[in-house]
Amino acid sequence: MTGCEGARALVPAYVDGELVGEDLRAFESHLAGCPGCREALHAETAMAEDLGRSLAAPTAPPELRRRVADSIGAAERRRSWWWPAAAAAVVAAAGWVAVARPLPARPASELVSVAVDSHLRYARGQLPLEVRSDRAEEVSAFFAGRVPFHVVLPDYPAPLGEPKPYALEGGRLVAMRGDYAAYVAYRMDGQPISLLVTSSSLATPAGGELVRSGALTFHLESQAGLNVITWTDNGLTYALASDVSVEGARSCLVCHGSREERRKIDGFGPRT
Amino acid sequence: MGDAGAQGEFGQAALAHLDRLYAFAHALARNRQAAEDLVQETYLRALRSRRRPGPDENLRGWLFTILHNVWRNEVRRRRPESLDAHPEWAAALVAKGPAAGEAVEGQRTAVRLAAFVDALPEHLREVMVLRFGEGFSYQRIAEILGCPAGTVMSRLARGRALVRQAFGSWNGHGPREEGR
Repeated sequence: MTGCEGARALVPAYVDGELVGEDLRAFESHLAGCPGCREALHAETAMAEDLGRSLAAPTAPPELRRRVADSIGAAERRRSWWWPAAAAAVVAAAGWVAVARPLPARPASELVSVAVDSHLRYARGQLPLEVRSDRAEEVSAFFAGRVPFHVVLPDYPAPLGEPKPYALEGGRLVAMRGDYAAYVAYRMDGQPISLLVTSSSLATPAGGELVRSGALTFHLESQAGLNVITWTDNGLTYALASDVSVEGARSCLVCHGSREERRKIDGFGPRT
Repeated sequence: MGDAGAQGEFGQAALAHLDRLYAFAHALARNRQAAEDLVQETYLRALRSRRRPGPDENLRGWLFTILHNVWRNEVRRRRPESLDAHPEWAAALVAKGPAAGEAVEGQRTAVRLAAFVDALPEHLREVMVLRFGEGFSYQRIAEILGCPAGTVMSRLARGRALVRQAFGSWNGHGPREEGR
Protein backbone atom coordinates (compact mmCIF):
# COMPACT_ATOMS: atom_id res chain seq x y z
CA MET A 1 0.00 0.00 0.00
CA THR A 2 1.41 3.36 -0.96
CA GLY A 3 0.00 6.55 0.54
CA CYS A 4 -3.53 7.79 0.16
CA GLU A 5 -3.97 6.40 -3.33
CA GLY A 6 -3.20 2.90 -2.15
CA ALA A 7 -5.37 3.31 0.94
CA ARG A 8 -8.37 4.57 -1.03
CA ALA A 9 -8.18 1.51 -3.24
CA LEU A 10 -8.53 -0.67 -0.17
CA VAL A 11 -11.48 1.17 1.35
CA PRO A 12 -14.21 -1.01 -0.27
CA ALA A 13 -12.50 -4.25 0.76
CA TYR A 14 -12.10 -2.88 4.30
CA VAL A 15 -15.78 -1.95 4.48
CA ASP A 16 -16.67 -5.42 3.19
CA GLY A 17 -14.55 -7.07 5.88
CA GLU A 18 -12.26 -8.62 3.28
CA LEU A 19 -9.02 -6.94 4.24
CA VAL A 20 -6.67 -9.17 6.24
CA GLY A 21 -3.07 -9.56 7.31
CA GLU A 22 -0.47 -6.98 6.43
CA ASP A 23 -2.86 -5.06 4.16
CA LEU A 24 -5.24 -4.61 7.07
CA ARG A 25 -2.53 -3.47 9.45
CA ALA A 26 -1.04 -1.05 6.92
CA PHE A 27 -4.48 0.33 6.05
CA GLU A 28 -5.45 0.96 9.67
CA SER A 29 -2.08 2.45 10.40
CA HIS A 30 -2.49 4.89 7.51
CA LEU A 31 -6.06 5.62 8.52
CA ALA A 32 -5.03 6.66 12.01
CA GLY A 33 -3.04 9.56 10.61
CA CYS A 34 -5.07 10.55 7.57
CA PRO A 35 -8.36 12.49 8.01
CA GLY A 36 -8.99 12.45 4.27
CA CYS A 37 -8.96 8.66 4.08
CA ARG A 38 -11.08 8.42 7.22
CA GLU A 39 -13.64 10.60 5.49
CA ALA A 40 -13.50 8.38 2.44
CA LEU A 41 -14.05 5.38 4.69
CA HIS A 42 -17.07 6.99 6.35
CA ALA A 43 -18.56 7.78 2.96
CA GLU A 44 -18.02 4.23 1.71
CA THR A 45 -19.48 2.80 4.89
CA ALA A 46 -22.55 5.03 4.63
CA MET A 47 -23.10 4.00 1.03
CA ALA A 48 -22.80 0.32 1.91
CA GLU A 49 -25.27 0.74 4.76
CA ASP A 50 -27.76 2.53 2.54
CA LEU A 51 -27.40 -0.16 -0.09
CA GLY A 52 -27.95 -2.81 2.56
CA ARG A 53 -31.12 -1.12 3.76
CA SER A 54 -32.39 -0.64 0.24
CA LEU A 55 -31.88 -4.27 -0.68
CA ALA A 56 -33.44 -5.70 2.46
CA ALA A 57 -36.86 -6.04 0.82
CA PRO A 58 -38.89 -7.79 -0.39
CA THR A 59 -40.17 -10.50 1.91
CA ALA A 60 -41.78 -13.65 0.63
CA PRO A 61 -45.54 -13.52 0.05
CA PRO A 62 -47.51 -15.52 2.65
CA GLU A 63 -48.92 -17.80 -0.02
CA LEU A 64 -45.42 -18.76 -1.16
CA ARG A 65 -44.41 -19.43 2.43
CA ARG A 66 -47.37 -21.74 2.85
CA ARG A 67 -46.61 -23.63 -0.36
CA VAL A 68 -42.95 -24.05 0.51
CA ALA A 69 -43.78 -25.15 4.04
CA ASP A 70 -46.20 -27.71 2.64
CA SER A 71 -43.56 -29.00 0.24
CA ILE A 72 -41.04 -29.33 3.03
CA GLY A 73 -43.49 -31.17 5.26
CA ALA A 74 -44.45 -33.58 2.51
CA ALA A 75 -40.86 -34.18 1.42
CA GLU A 76 -39.64 -34.77 4.95
CA ARG A 77 -42.35 -37.33 5.53
CA ARG A 78 -41.63 -39.14 2.28
CA ARG A 79 -37.96 -39.12 3.07
CA SER A 80 -38.32 -40.49 6.56
CA TRP A 81 -40.79 -43.11 5.40
CA TRP A 82 -38.34 -44.80 3.08
CA TRP A 83 -35.66 -45.44 5.62
CA PRO A 84 -37.40 -47.80 7.98
CA ALA A 85 -39.46 -49.10 5.09
CA ALA A 86 -36.35 -49.90 3.09
CA ALA A 87 -34.71 -51.44 6.10
CA ALA A 88 -37.74 -53.50 6.86
CA ALA A 89 -38.02 -54.50 3.24
CA VAL A 90 -34.61 -56.07 3.36
CA VAL A 91 -35.59 -58.03 6.39
CA ALA A 92 -38.98 -58.96 5.08
CA ALA A 93 -37.95 -60.81 2.01
CA ALA A 94 -34.39 -61.57 2.83
CA GLY A 95 -34.67 -64.98 4.26
CA TRP A 96 -31.47 -64.48 6.18
CA VAL A 97 -31.24 -67.44 8.51
CA ALA A 98 -29.02 -67.39 11.52
CA VAL A 99 -26.74 -70.23 12.37
CA ALA A 100 -26.34 -70.16 16.12
CA ARG A 101 -22.85 -69.59 17.43
CA PRO A 102 -22.17 -69.93 21.13
CA LEU A 103 -20.54 -66.52 21.49
CA PRO A 104 -21.51 -63.81 23.97
CA ALA A 105 -23.54 -61.07 22.36
CA ARG A 106 -22.16 -57.56 22.43
CA PRO A 107 -23.97 -54.27 22.12
CA ALA A 108 -24.52 -53.04 18.60
CA SER A 109 -22.08 -50.15 18.96
CA GLU A 110 -19.31 -52.22 17.41
CA LEU A 111 -21.62 -53.18 14.58
CA VAL A 112 -22.57 -49.54 14.11
CA SER A 113 -18.91 -48.53 14.03
CA VAL A 114 -18.09 -51.22 11.51
CA ALA A 115 -21.12 -50.24 9.42
CA VAL A 116 -20.18 -46.56 9.48
CA ASP A 117 -16.55 -47.25 8.70
CA SER A 118 -17.49 -49.61 5.87
CA HIS A 119 -19.99 -47.11 4.49
CA LEU A 120 -17.50 -44.25 4.50
CA ARG A 121 -14.82 -46.36 2.88
CA TYR A 122 -17.24 -47.59 0.25
CA ALA A 123 -18.45 -44.07 -0.45
CA ARG A 124 -14.82 -42.98 -0.93
CA GLY A 125 -14.14 -45.87 -3.28
CA GLN A 126 -11.83 -47.53 -0.77
CA LEU A 127 -13.90 -50.63 -0.15
CA PRO A 128 -14.14 -52.62 -3.36
CA LEU A 129 -17.04 -55.00 -3.67
CA GLU A 130 -16.24 -58.68 -4.00
CA VAL A 131 -19.39 -59.29 -5.93
CA ARG A 132 -20.79 -56.50 -8.04
CA SER A 133 -24.26 -57.10 -9.33
CA ASP A 134 -27.75 -55.66 -9.19
CA ARG A 135 -29.17 -59.20 -9.13
CA ALA A 136 -30.16 -60.19 -5.64
CA GLU A 137 -29.64 -63.90 -6.20
CA GLU A 138 -26.12 -63.40 -7.51
CA VAL A 139 -25.12 -61.37 -4.48
CA SER A 140 -26.84 -63.85 -2.19
CA ALA A 141 -24.91 -66.72 -3.77
CA PHE A 142 -21.64 -64.96 -3.02
CA PHE A 143 -22.30 -65.06 0.72
CA ALA A 144 -23.19 -68.75 0.77
CA GLY A 145 -20.64 -70.57 2.90
CA ARG A 146 -18.69 -67.37 3.58
CA VAL A 147 -20.75 -66.08 6.49
CA PRO A 148 -22.20 -68.14 9.32
CA PHE A 149 -25.79 -67.51 8.25
CA HIS A 150 -27.83 -68.08 5.16
CA VAL A 151 -28.32 -65.13 2.84
CA VAL A 152 -31.17 -64.65 0.41
CA LEU A 153 -31.37 -60.99 -0.56
CA PRO A 154 -34.78 -59.70 -1.53
CA ASP A 155 -35.95 -58.31 -4.77
CA TYR A 156 -37.60 -55.32 -3.24
CA PRO A 157 -41.13 -54.85 -4.48
CA ALA A 158 -41.62 -51.25 -5.53
CA PRO A 159 -44.87 -49.69 -4.36
CA LEU A 160 -47.58 -49.67 -6.97
CA GLY A 161 -47.06 -46.87 -9.47
CA GLU A 162 -43.73 -45.77 -7.99
CA PRO A 163 -40.19 -46.36 -9.21
CA LYS A 164 -37.99 -48.70 -7.25
CA PRO A 165 -36.50 -46.49 -4.52
CA TYR A 166 -33.06 -48.04 -4.42
CA ALA A 167 -30.79 -50.34 -6.40
CA LEU A 168 -28.58 -53.19 -5.27
CA GLU A 169 -24.91 -52.73 -6.19
CA GLY A 170 -23.20 -55.77 -4.71
CA GLY A 171 -21.57 -57.08 -1.56
CA ARG A 172 -18.45 -58.19 0.23
CA LEU A 173 -17.24 -59.67 3.47
CA VAL A 174 -16.23 -57.39 6.31
CA ALA A 175 -14.17 -58.62 9.24
CA MET A 176 -15.85 -58.38 12.60
CA ARG A 177 -14.84 -60.03 15.84
CA GLY A 178 -12.77 -62.69 14.20
CA ASP A 179 -15.52 -63.62 11.78
CA TYR A 180 -17.15 -62.12 8.74
CA ALA A 181 -20.19 -59.93 8.51
CA ALA A 182 -22.04 -59.48 5.23
CA TYR A 183 -21.74 -56.03 3.69
CA VAL A 184 -24.33 -55.17 1.04
CA ALA A 185 -24.21 -51.95 -0.95
CA TYR A 186 -27.29 -50.21 -2.25
CA ARG A 187 -27.75 -46.87 -3.92
CA MET A 188 -30.65 -44.49 -3.60
CA ASP A 189 -30.84 -41.31 -5.68
CA GLY A 190 -27.17 -41.62 -6.45
CA GLN A 191 -26.12 -41.96 -2.82
CA PRO A 192 -24.74 -45.16 -1.27
CA ILE A 193 -26.61 -47.04 1.40
CA SER A 194 -24.78 -49.71 3.35
CA LEU A 195 -26.30 -52.73 5.04
CA LEU A 196 -24.21 -54.77 7.41
CA VAL A 197 -25.52 -58.10 8.68
CA THR A 198 -24.17 -60.31 11.39
CA SER A 199 -25.44 -62.89 13.81
CA SER A 200 -27.40 -61.66 16.82
CA SER A 201 -25.05 -63.77 18.91
CA LEU A 202 -22.32 -61.28 18.01
CA ALA A 203 -24.24 -58.03 18.32
CA THR A 204 -27.61 -56.81 19.45
CA PRO A 205 -29.10 -53.33 18.90
CA ALA A 206 -28.95 -50.91 21.79
CA GLY A 207 -29.55 -47.23 22.40
CA GLY A 208 -30.60 -44.58 19.94
CA GLU A 209 -34.11 -43.47 19.18
CA LEU A 210 -36.55 -46.33 19.00
CA VAL A 211 -38.96 -46.75 16.13
CA ARG A 212 -41.36 -49.63 16.25
CA SER A 213 -42.59 -50.80 12.90
CA GLY A 214 -44.75 -53.88 12.75
CA ALA A 215 -43.06 -56.48 14.91
CA LEU A 216 -39.64 -54.86 14.54
CA THR A 217 -37.94 -52.29 16.69
CA PHE A 218 -35.47 -50.02 14.92
CA HIS A 219 -32.74 -48.13 16.77
CA LEU A 220 -31.91 -44.83 15.08
CA GLU A 221 -28.71 -42.99 15.83
CA SER A 222 -26.17 -40.70 14.22
CA GLN A 223 -22.48 -41.37 13.99
CA ALA A 224 -19.85 -39.55 11.95
CA GLY A 225 -22.56 -37.53 10.26
CA LEU A 226 -24.39 -40.64 9.10
CA ASN A 227 -27.72 -41.98 10.11
CA VAL A 228 -27.59 -45.55 11.27
CA ILE A 229 -30.48 -47.89 11.91
CA THR A 230 -29.91 -51.15 13.72
CA TRP A 231 -32.39 -53.87 14.41
CA THR A 232 -32.54 -57.57 15.02
CA ASP A 233 -34.76 -60.15 13.46
CA ASN A 234 -34.75 -63.92 13.26
CA GLY A 235 -31.40 -64.27 14.99
CA LEU A 236 -29.60 -61.69 12.91
CA THR A 237 -28.62 -58.11 13.61
CA TYR A 238 -28.62 -55.47 10.90
CA ALA A 239 -27.09 -52.02 10.58
CA LEU A 240 -28.16 -49.72 7.78
CA ALA A 241 -25.94 -46.67 7.25
CA SER A 242 -26.49 -43.71 4.98
CA ASP A 243 -26.47 -39.96 4.99
CA VAL A 244 -30.13 -39.94 4.10
CA SER A 245 -32.00 -37.82 6.59
CA VAL A 246 -34.10 -39.63 9.14
CA GLU A 247 -36.48 -37.80 11.35
CA GLY A 248 -37.00 -40.63 13.78
CA ALA A 249 -40.08 -42.17 15.19
CA ARG A 250 -42.30 -39.17 14.71
CA SER A 251 -41.79 -39.17 10.97
CA CYS A 252 -42.92 -42.74 10.55
CA LEU A 253 -45.99 -42.13 12.62
CA VAL A 254 -46.89 -39.02 10.68
CA CYS A 255 -47.11 -41.02 7.50
CA HIS A 256 -48.16 -44.33 8.88
CA GLY A 257 -50.11 -43.56 11.97
CA SER A 258 -53.44 -44.56 10.48
CA ARG A 259 -54.49 -48.16 10.22
CA GLU A 260 -54.51 -47.86 6.44
CA GLU A 261 -50.97 -46.51 6.33
CA ARG A 262 -49.64 -48.92 8.90
CA ARG A 263 -50.43 -51.74 6.53
CA LYS A 264 -47.74 -50.40 4.22
CA ILE A 265 -45.14 -50.87 6.90
CA ASP A 266 -46.57 -54.13 8.09
CA GLY A 267 -46.21 -55.34 4.54
CA PHE A 268 -42.47 -54.95 4.98
CA GLY A 269 -42.47 -56.73 8.28
CA PRO A 270 -40.89 -60.07 9.06
CA ARG A 271 -42.26 -63.25 7.69
CA THR A 272 -44.14 -65.37 10.09
CA MET B 1 -49.40 -29.94 6.43
CA GLY B 2 -47.19 -26.97 6.46
CA ASP B 3 -46.96 -26.49 10.19
CA ALA B 4 -43.63 -26.58 11.90
CA GLY B 5 -44.44 -29.86 13.59
CA ALA B 6 -44.63 -31.60 10.25
CA GLN B 7 -41.18 -30.37 9.23
CA GLY B 8 -37.88 -31.87 10.21
CA GLU B 9 -34.90 -29.96 11.50
CA PHE B 10 -33.55 -29.49 8.00
CA GLY B 11 -36.86 -28.25 6.68
CA GLN B 12 -37.26 -25.71 9.44
CA ALA B 13 -33.71 -24.48 9.02
CA ALA B 14 -34.20 -24.17 5.27
CA LEU B 15 -37.52 -22.38 5.65
CA ALA B 16 -35.85 -19.73 7.80
CA HIS B 17 -34.08 -18.49 4.66
CA LEU B 18 -37.23 -18.11 2.59
CA ASP B 19 -37.41 -14.32 2.71
CA ARG B 20 -33.80 -13.89 1.67
CA LEU B 21 -34.08 -16.45 -1.10
CA TYR B 22 -37.18 -14.72 -2.37
CA ALA B 23 -35.41 -11.36 -2.32
CA PHE B 24 -32.55 -12.81 -4.35
CA ALA B 25 -34.95 -14.54 -6.72
CA HIS B 26 -36.78 -11.27 -7.20
CA ALA B 27 -33.53 -9.46 -7.86
CA LEU B 28 -32.70 -12.00 -10.56
CA ALA B 29 -36.10 -12.41 -12.17
CA ARG B 30 -37.52 -8.95 -11.42
CA ASN B 31 -40.93 -10.47 -11.57
CA ARG B 32 -42.97 -11.73 -8.66
CA GLN B 33 -44.38 -14.82 -10.29
CA ALA B 34 -41.02 -15.86 -11.70
CA ALA B 35 -39.40 -15.26 -8.31
CA GLU B 36 -41.98 -17.44 -6.58
CA ASP B 37 -41.47 -20.22 -9.11
CA LEU B 38 -37.73 -19.96 -8.69
CA VAL B 39 -37.89 -20.17 -4.91
CA GLN B 40 -40.29 -23.09 -4.96
CA GLU B 41 -38.07 -24.98 -7.39
CA THR B 42 -35.05 -24.22 -5.20
CA TYR B 43 -36.69 -25.83 -2.19
CA LEU B 44 -37.78 -28.83 -4.21
CA ARG B 45 -34.22 -29.35 -5.41
CA ALA B 46 -32.83 -28.92 -1.91
CA LEU B 47 -35.30 -31.38 -0.45
CA ARG B 48 -34.63 -33.94 -3.17
CA SER B 49 -30.88 -33.65 -2.76
CA ARG B 50 -29.29 -36.50 -0.86
CA ARG B 51 -26.21 -34.43 -0.20
CA ARG B 52 -27.06 -31.84 2.34
CA PRO B 53 -24.75 -29.35 3.94
CA GLY B 54 -23.13 -30.63 7.09
CA PRO B 55 -23.07 -28.81 10.42
CA ASP B 56 -20.02 -26.82 9.40
CA GLU B 57 -21.31 -25.87 6.00
CA ASN B 58 -23.37 -22.85 5.20
CA LEU B 59 -26.98 -23.83 4.58
CA ARG B 60 -27.88 -20.36 3.38
CA GLY B 61 -25.04 -20.29 0.86
CA TRP B 62 -25.98 -23.78 -0.30
CA LEU B 63 -29.59 -22.73 -0.90
CA PHE B 64 -28.50 -19.57 -2.72
CA THR B 65 -26.23 -21.65 -4.93
CA ILE B 66 -29.08 -23.98 -5.83
CA LEU B 67 -31.33 -21.03 -6.57
CA HIS B 68 -28.77 -19.39 -8.80
CA ASN B 69 -28.09 -22.64 -10.65
CA VAL B 70 -31.78 -23.15 -11.29
CA TRP B 71 -32.05 -19.58 -12.49
CA ARG B 72 -29.00 -19.70 -14.74
CA ASN B 73 -29.56 -23.14 -16.22
CA GLU B 74 -33.31 -23.33 -16.53
CA VAL B 75 -35.59 -20.48 -15.63
CA ARG B 76 -33.76 -17.67 -17.38
CA ARG B 77 -33.48 -19.67 -20.58
CA ARG B 78 -37.11 -20.46 -20.93
CA ARG B 79 -38.63 -17.30 -19.54
CA PRO B 80 -38.79 -14.08 -21.53
CA GLU B 81 -37.98 -11.15 -19.32
CA SER B 82 -41.02 -9.54 -17.82
CA LEU B 83 -40.50 -6.78 -15.32
CA ASP B 84 -42.97 -5.93 -12.63
CA ALA B 85 -44.35 -2.50 -13.42
CA HIS B 86 -44.70 -1.55 -9.79
CA PRO B 87 -42.56 -3.73 -7.56
CA GLU B 88 -44.38 -4.32 -4.32
CA TRP B 89 -41.15 -3.93 -2.37
CA ALA B 90 -40.96 -0.24 -3.24
CA ALA B 91 -44.01 0.39 -1.12
CA ALA B 92 -42.72 -1.99 1.51
CA LEU B 93 -39.46 -0.08 1.70
CA VAL B 94 -41.25 3.15 2.44
CA ALA B 95 -43.49 1.46 4.97
CA LYS B 96 -40.56 -0.13 6.81
CA GLY B 97 -38.15 2.80 6.69
CA PRO B 98 -36.88 4.80 9.64
CA ALA B 99 -39.62 6.28 11.76
CA ALA B 100 -38.59 9.86 12.37
CA GLY B 101 -36.10 12.63 11.69
CA GLU B 102 -34.32 11.78 8.47
CA ALA B 103 -36.87 9.15 7.70
CA VAL B 104 -38.34 10.65 4.57
CA GLU B 105 -35.00 11.29 2.87
CA GLY B 106 -33.71 7.92 4.01
CA GLN B 107 -36.70 6.15 2.57
CA ARG B 108 -36.46 8.06 -0.64
CA THR B 109 -32.79 7.15 -0.97
CA ALA B 110 -33.51 3.51 -0.21
CA VAL B 111 -36.24 3.29 -2.82
CA ARG B 112 -34.11 5.02 -5.42
CA LEU B 113 -31.11 2.84 -4.62
CA ALA B 114 -33.20 -0.32 -4.85
CA ALA B 115 -34.61 0.79 -8.18
CA PHE B 116 -31.14 1.66 -9.39
CA VAL B 117 -29.69 -1.72 -8.46
CA ASP B 118 -32.74 -3.38 -9.97
CA ALA B 119 -31.96 -1.70 -13.27
CA LEU B 120 -28.33 -2.80 -13.36
CA PRO B 121 -27.27 -5.55 -15.76
CA GLU B 122 -27.74 -8.97 -14.22
CA HIS B 123 -24.04 -9.73 -13.70
CA LEU B 124 -23.69 -6.55 -11.62
CA ARG B 125 -27.09 -6.76 -9.98
CA GLU B 126 -26.50 -10.20 -8.55
CA VAL B 127 -23.17 -9.35 -6.92
CA MET B 128 -24.56 -6.13 -5.47
CA VAL B 129 -27.52 -7.97 -3.96
CA LEU B 130 -25.40 -10.82 -2.59
CA ARG B 131 -22.85 -8.45 -1.07
CA PHE B 132 -24.95 -5.56 0.23
CA GLY B 133 -28.32 -7.22 0.63
CA GLU B 134 -27.11 -10.55 1.98
CA GLY B 135 -23.68 -9.76 3.36
CA PHE B 136 -21.95 -12.73 1.74
CA SER B 137 -18.17 -12.72 1.50
CA TYR B 138 -16.48 -12.42 -1.88
CA GLN B 139 -15.54 -16.09 -1.76
CA ARG B 140 -19.07 -17.21 -0.92
CA ILE B 141 -20.49 -15.05 -3.70
CA ALA B 142 -18.01 -16.62 -6.10
CA GLU B 143 -19.21 -20.07 -5.02
CA ILE B 144 -22.85 -19.14 -5.44
CA LEU B 145 -22.31 -17.66 -8.87
CA GLY B 146 -19.75 -20.21 -9.98
CA CYS B 147 -17.12 -17.64 -10.94
CA PRO B 148 -13.69 -16.58 -9.62
CA ALA B 149 -13.54 -14.32 -6.56
CA GLY B 150 -11.60 -11.82 -8.67
CA THR B 151 -14.60 -11.52 -10.98
CA VAL B 152 -16.81 -10.81 -7.98
CA MET B 153 -14.46 -8.08 -6.83
CA SER B 154 -14.27 -6.38 -10.22
CA ARG B 155 -18.05 -6.51 -10.65
CA LEU B 156 -18.56 -5.05 -7.19
CA ALA B 157 -16.12 -2.26 -7.97
CA ARG B 158 -18.04 -1.53 -11.15
CA GLY B 159 -21.37 -1.57 -9.32
CA ARG B 160 -20.08 0.77 -6.65
CA ALA B 161 -18.71 3.13 -9.25
CA LEU B 162 -22.05 3.24 -11.04
CA VAL B 163 -23.85 3.98 -7.78
CA ARG B 164 -21.47 6.84 -7.01
CA GLN B 165 -21.84 8.12 -10.54
CA ALA B 166 -25.61 8.19 -10.20
CA PHE B 167 -25.93 9.36 -6.60
CA GLY B 168 -22.71 11.24 -5.91
CA SER B 169 -20.46 10.50 -2.97
CA TRP B 170 -21.91 9.83 0.44
CA ASN B 171 -21.17 12.32 3.17
CA GLY B 172 -22.03 10.14 6.12
CA HIS B 173 -25.72 11.07 6.07
CA GLY B 174 -26.61 10.06 2.56
CA PRO B 175 -25.60 10.78 -1.00
CA ARG B 176 -24.59 14.41 -1.56
CA GLU B 177 -26.86 14.55 -4.55
CA GLU B 178 -29.71 14.43 -2.05
CA GLY B 179 -28.76 17.94 -1.13
CA ARG B 180 -27.80 17.52 2.48
